[in-house]
Order: sequence, then C-alpha cells, then structure tokens
Amino acid sequence: MAFLEIDQLHKQFGDLPAVSGFDVDVEQGEFLSLLGPSGCGKTTALRMIAGFERPTSGTIHLNGRDITNQPPNRRHIGMVFQSYALFPNMTVADNVGFGLKLKGMTPADARRRAGELLELIQLPDKGGSYPYQLSGGQQQRVALARALAIEPQVLLLDEPLSALDAKIRVELRAEIRRIQQQLHITTLYVTHDQEEAMSLSDRVVVMNKGFIEQVGPPFEIYNYPRTAFVAHFVGQLNVMPVRVVDAAAGRVALGEQTIILEPPLAANGQAVTLAVRPEELELGAAEGHNNLRGLVESVNFLGSIVRVRVAVDGATLSADLFNERLLTLPKAGEAVTINFPAHAAWVLEEQG
Amino acid sequence: MATETVAVTESTPPARRARAGAGLLTWLGVVPFFLFALAFLVAPASYLFIGSFQTLDGQFTLDNFRNLNQPIVVEAYKNSLQVSFATALGGTIFGFLLAYAVTLGRAGRVRSGLLTFSGVASNFAGVPLAFAFIATLGRIGLITTMLKAVGIDLYQQGFSLYSFAGLSLTYMYFQFPLMILIITPALEGLKREWREAAENLGASSGQYWRYIAFPVLLPSLLGTLILLFANAFGAFATAFALTGGTINLVTILIGSQMRGDVLRDPGLGYALAVGMVAIMAVSITAYTLLQRRSERWLKR
Ligand SMILES: Nc1ncnc2c1ncn2[C@@H]1O[C@H](COP(=O)(O)OP(=O)(O)OP(=O)(O)O)[C@@H](O)[C@H]1O
Ligand SMILES: [Mg+2]
Repeated sequence: MAFLEIDQLHKQFGDLPAVSGFDVDVEQGEFLSLLGPSGCGKTTALRMIAGFERPTSGTIHLNGRDITNQPPNRRHIGMVFQSYALFPNMTVADNVGFGLKLKGMTPADARRRAGELLELIQLPDKGGSYPYQLSGGQQQRVALARALAIEPQVLLLDEPLSALDAKIRVELRAEIRRIQQQLHITTLYVTHDQEEAMSLSDRVVVMNKGFIEQVGPPFEIYNYPRTAFVAHFVGQLNVMPVRVVDAAAGRVALGEQTIILEPPLAANGQAVTLAVRPEELELGAAEGHNNLRGLVESVNFLGSIVRVRVAVDGATLSADLFNERLLTLPKAGEAVTINFPAHAAWVLEEQG
Repeated sequence: MATETVAVTESTPPARRARAGAGLLTWLGVVPFFLFALAFLVAPASYLFIGSFQTLDGQFTLDNFRNLNQPIVVEAYKNSLQVSFATALGGTIFGFLLAYAVTLGRAGRVRSGLLTFSGVASNFAGVPLAFAFIATLGRIGLITTMLKAVGIDLYQQGFSLYSFAGLSLTYMYFQFPLMILIITPALEGLKREWREAAENLGASSGQYWRYIAFPVLLPSLLGTLILLFANAFGAFATAFALTGGTINLVTILIGSQMRGDVLRDPGLGYALAVGMVAIMAVSITAYTLLQRRSERWLKR
C-alpha cells in the first residue's frame, strides 16, 4: 500500500464535474506535481486532500488510514497557499509557532522550534517582524515554515510562487526542492507552469478538464507524451498533417515530400498527425535522416537558442538551434533543408 | 548628472513645466475646501476657545471652567457619557451580529438591502427621527396602542420614550446602522485562507476566532465603538425634539446657555463646548489610530 493512496476521487459542483476519476498513489518522500491549464481541477483535487472540499465519491488513504471524511484540523497535512495567508496580527515567529501552540507545546519550546524553522528557510532574523513588513517571497518562505512546523505527513502547495517575480520564483523553487529533500517530506505541488513542474518533481500528473491525462517522471512526460493534449501542453511541438504511404516500411508523405518513421504505422492511405520537438530539427541535410526542403519564414534569436521557422509543404516547422558564436543564421525567404532522425517523430493519437 | 531642480525657467523642458503647473492646479482645487474649513471649523472653534476664557465684557478669566464643577453640569456630562456609551456598545454588538449574518453567515441574500438601509438610517436623526419614534412608541404611538390592545401597557410598566431608556432606544436607530456600514468591509476583509490555514494547523473554529479573526477585527471594533460614542455624544436635535430638554445632556445644556432660557451664561456654554470638543478630539484621534492599524492588517 502506498503512503498516500487516492482512489477514484470525484468532485461535482452542481452540474459541473470539477475532478473525475482522480487516481494516484504517492510514495513516502515523493515530490508530485499537478500540472494543467486553468480550471482543470488542480486546486479542487488538492483541497479534497487537505479536507477543505468533501469528495462526491472516492477515497483518500494516508499511511493506511482512511481520511476521506476527516475534518481538516485532524489530518496532519500542511498547506501553503498562493496568497501566503499569514496571520496579519501575529509576528513571524508566532505564525510559525501557531500550530505548535495548538498542539500544546510550551511557549519556550515553540519559540525554539520556530527559530529552527526560520533557520531552515534562511530568515533567522525575521522572527519579530510582522507579515506586512516582509516581501512576498519572504512571506511565502514563512508560510512554508509554518506549514512544516507541525511536521505534517504530507505537504500541499497550491501555486505558491505564482504571485512572485520571475527571479524570486526560480530562487524559491530551488529552495522548496532543497527543503523537501532535506526533510524527505511527501509533497504535492499544484502549478500551471510546466517548467516549474518539470524542474521540481519526481513525477508529474498532467490534468485536463478534471481528468488525469498522464502520470510519469518529467523526462517521460516530455519525450513520450501519451496523449495529444500532453504533447501540446508540455513544451513546444511541431505538427505535420501526413498521409501513410507504406505502413510496413514506415513511409508517410508530407505534401510532395517523403518522411520515414519507425514502423509499424496505421493502415495505408490514412491521414495522421505527426509530431516532432523543435530541438530535434537541424539545419542542412544529413545522411540517413529525414530531409525536408522549405523556405525560411522567420529567425528569432532567443539568447541560448535560435528559433528558425521553416515553411514546408503544408506545415510550418520550428527548429531550435543552440546558439554558438560561429553560427551563420539563415535569412527569411532563403531556401533551406532541415533534417531529423526517424526516431524523433511520432504519430499523435486523435485528440478527443 | 546635473542635480535636479524644480524651479521653472525658460529652459525647463515643457513636460516638467506642465507638471509644476499641474501641481499648482491641484492646490488651487483644494482652496475652496480650506476656505470652508477656515470659516466654519477653525474660526468657530477658536471663537469658542477664546470665549471660554473671557467674561461677558471680554476680560480674561478661568471662572467659566471653574463653573463646570456644579451639580447640573456634572450631571449633564454623566448623562451624556452614559447615553453615548450605552448606545455605542449596543450599536456595536447589534450591528456586528447583523453584519456577521450577511457576510459570513447565511443571510447573504439580504446583504445589499441591509447596506442600503444602513446608509439611509445612519443619517436619519434629529426632528424627523424623534417624530418617527413618537408616532410608534409615544404615549399614543402605533405600537404602544397595539400592545395595549393585547393587554401590554408599556407606559404602565415603567417605560417612557421620553426617559433615558427611550432616548437610548431612539439613538440606537442610527447607531447600529453606522456600525454595519463600518464593520462590513472589515468582516469581508477576513480572508478565507486565514481560516483554512488555521484549520490546517489544527485549529478549531473557536480557536480561529479567538486567535485570528477576533484580534484582527478588534481595532475596527474598538474604533467603531469610539466613533459611535462620539456620534451620540454630539447629538442634539434628536434629544431636544424628543424630550424637549427634560433630559440633561451636555448638548442641551449648551443650547440653553446660548439661547438663554433658564441659565443664560454664554461663557459657561463656551467652556462646556470646549470640554465636548476635547472629548470628541480624543475619540476621533483614537479612532483614526485604530483604523490605521486594522487597514494595515487587512490590506494584504
Ligand atoms: N466552490 C466551487 N463552486 C463551484 N465551482 C467550483 C468551485 N471551485 C471550483 N469550481 C470549478 O471547478 C473547476 C476546477 O476549478 P479549480 O479551482 O480546481 O481549477 P484549477 O485547476 O485550480 O485552476 P487554476 O489554475 O485557475 O487555479 C472550475 O471550472 C471551477 O470553476
Ligand atoms: Mg487553482
């Protein structure tokens, strides 16, 4: 039995199913992200685990205990909110010590423990400050310390970084991962930022319209997306409408040009959608690769990468090239060849 | 870099010149307000203040303040303080419960209706209010007669609209709506996440109220209590219209010094008024300080 077992969780708001068939097992110490577009049910799923929403059906087991209908104040699950939600009438130390005080810890012990946690979040001098005297990033660190103080069995974070500046966001992200690994605490992290989910998680749960699309490690989600939705939602994607010419040989046609894929394919003559990531494409022709001719549409210099958009028969493909000082950039309107290996492309299932 | 100056000269770029002009215009806009305040607030207050240290023929004296220490004046202050405190406390409690019901409770549907009523009622005072109460709870008022018909004789049982209790009841009519108007935003400022964070850390609903919601609301509650107190303390027309001056209040006593029916002594009137202004000033200052603190808490 897994540490946190979520079985067939379902939540209905009136006629609207916000979460359907949510089924995930989380191991002790694992860092799991819930990733998906706005309104896909991430927060609702998290709030059911915290106990703020009652599931319409399904069960939640924590460490073998059924907590599905337990009130939130009995669950020993820590939560960090997007809006920090620090108690404005208490100092930082009192905020962090609040859960300990409720547990009956003596004020002296609570103060010492709060001090340790402020050390952990690298704000040892802020114990006497009030929340309104802190920056957003500092407030969120304190909120994290407050949730961790009661040594919860599971830590839940609902878009904790989305109210912060880009730079602070990246900093605090690393900080959250460091603390999570140091404490080895089971963590569920809600975000709609795929980069955040990828860089933090052991596994990512991709959600869409209340359903789970795919669960897996970041590498697998990115490179072997199981549905068209996942492929599109995570990372950049080139799609090409092609027709199967020879299924056994893996040969398809993109307009007048031929592409060889790894067989087997669907039946001959069928129209399918081919997908390939921009970083798999290279400029120029290459022996043994698929070589496509086209016209350069635009060249975008993005710093470490250069994105070249090439119009090929019936499709516009982006090629992401690594920047180097010796690179000669093609010009818009120029005729070029781009290539990619057979294994880089795959057939997308029909989007339902 | 050259140092910045704000002087407008020929060489000042047009944008900067326009900004300085706009600054001047802004000040021009508030001139009427300052003139108004000067004419109707600062001037009368100074006049009062100076008058309170003068005899009838303009000599300096402290007698007016010495005269404050006579039974009728002490009683007036006592009555005024009592009515004000009682109705402020009553208004605070009653108004808070109503505001709670329409914000956090289950009566959300009547929220906008209640707020509209409060906006009107909190400004309903003076002669119209007194007459409204006389028409309902006076000796032959609507409710009085209706209750009499079912065998309850209010006036027989010691109630009188023209007594301390009756006056307090009448004041309540504008006191609790004012509380509703001020405390509703504060209640709405309590974030749902605070309650959830507290529950998440193991707090019961009672503990949430004791440690977070109540302390967060306390400055607003105290501040509003003070404001209601000042509101009742300064009321004159309602009390005068209702009781015709039979209840001895500071405002009524001042009125009689000025108009000179019973005891004509403008100097004493000025001294009474200065005492009242002092009480009001302390109240408003305390209110402002408390309000500032609660705003700081409720902002984020
Ligand atoms: N209390 C509620 N009452 C009614 N509908 C709700 C309630 N809470 C959420 N919903 C609906 O449920 C769906 C899922 O909402 P949820 O907040 O879980 O999405 P989310 O994935 O967290 O989105 P976001 O990224 O915008 O935070 C939405 O369509 C939302 O409108
Ligand atoms: Mg959400």
